[in-house]
Amino acid sequence: MGGNASKVTAQDKAILDMKNQRDKLHQYQRRISVLTDKETEIARQMLAKGDKKRALLALRRKKYQESLLAKTDAQLAQLEKLTTDVEFALIQKDVLFGLQQGTKVLQEIHAEMGGIEHVEKLMGETADAIAYQQEVSDMLGGRISNQDEEEVEEELLALEAEVAQELPSVPIAQPPVAEQRQEEEAQAERRKQPAMLAA
Amino acid sequence: MAATTTTTDNDNNSFVFPREYHFPAFFTRQTNLTTLHAQRTKWSDLILSYARYHRIFRLSLSEAADSDLFVNRKLDRRLQFDDIRDVVVFMHKDGRVEYVGGGTTGDVVLVYWRKPDEWAELIENYVDETGQKGSVLTIYELVEGDGTKGTDIHGMDQHVLIKALNVLVKRGKAQIFGQDDSLGVKFF
Repeated sequence: MGGNASKVTAQDKAILDMKNQRDKLHQYQRRISVLTDKETEIARQMLAKGDKKRALLALRRKKYQESLLAKTDAQLAQLEKLTTDVEFALIQKDVLFGLQQGTKVLQEIHAEMGGIEHVEKLMGETADAIAYQQEVSDMLGGRISNQDEEEVEEELLALEAEVAQELPSVPIAQPPVAEQRQEEEAQAERRKQPAMLAA
Repeated sequence: MAATTTTTDNDNNSFVFPREYHFPAFFTRQTNLTTLHAQRTKWSDLILSYARYHRIFRLSLSEAADSDLFVNRKLDRRLQFDDIRDVVVFMHKDGRVEYVGGGTTGDVVLVYWRKPDEWAELIENYVDETGQKGSVLTIYELVEGDGTKGTDIHGMDQHVLIKALNVLVKRGKAQIFGQDDSLGVKFF
């Protein structure tokens, strides 16, 4: 994303300058570390010789150098933060460029579509075509319904005929029911007799 | 920087010398041409593995002549300076050595126990693995920075590093820029 041609930009040179400053501070810190170690060693040697004053002097120098080290630490942190911020800003720039590209592409697509007016016109035409189709369907539906009506009437007649044929079968069913009732009455009388005998 | 200061071999450093180092004839120029070629090849291999072990990028021949590389004190044998120079010429033809300042002669040489092409691939992989493509890095940062600690790139000779970076430049993978004493490189 973004025109990353293989060449060095002004921002790259600025970043290089900051990183070089960082490197110089880094080297300075290393030099001071060597000095502080050296002063500690001197102090140890002086104490071994019993020369307390010089040992104290060496430790004072060490203390001073350590304070310089602390200052360069702060400066180094500042430089690194600045470098990081610049690099992040470059990333943000790329993101912004990406958004611009995306927007531009989207606008081109909209232009190809003809814009909102064109879409509205198209939607209107579509609606008209749908309405026209509906009328056509209605007309065809009207004609077909005549045929359907005839079929429905024929079906009705067929059903009526079936119902008439079923009627004669009804009387045949009555006698079995009557016979069942007579049997039930006989059983009831038989139950009464045992009761009288028991009494 | 040069070879390590003279010490008895295998005492202070644990570099294991090859078998031929303990043969007296190895330190004497051979008259038979086939044997001479084999001898030079073995010396070349020894110099490369010694330099690799001690991470020697830059070798002063006059200083090295007195180091345990060319002097076997147990055998009381040493490679004569003229013979050392001949071996270096042999290595130069093979691309394993380059004279500082260019040219075909000199006392100080860069020893390519890893060739600039090989270094270039190493550096490219490092940049890929650390996600630093498109970034600007200083030469100092690559050689001395905390980022490269634990990699072979840390502690490289700057001269060799720049040669390796120039390989990447030719491939269109990097661009070197900045002042002479504070160079930077951008990777693509």
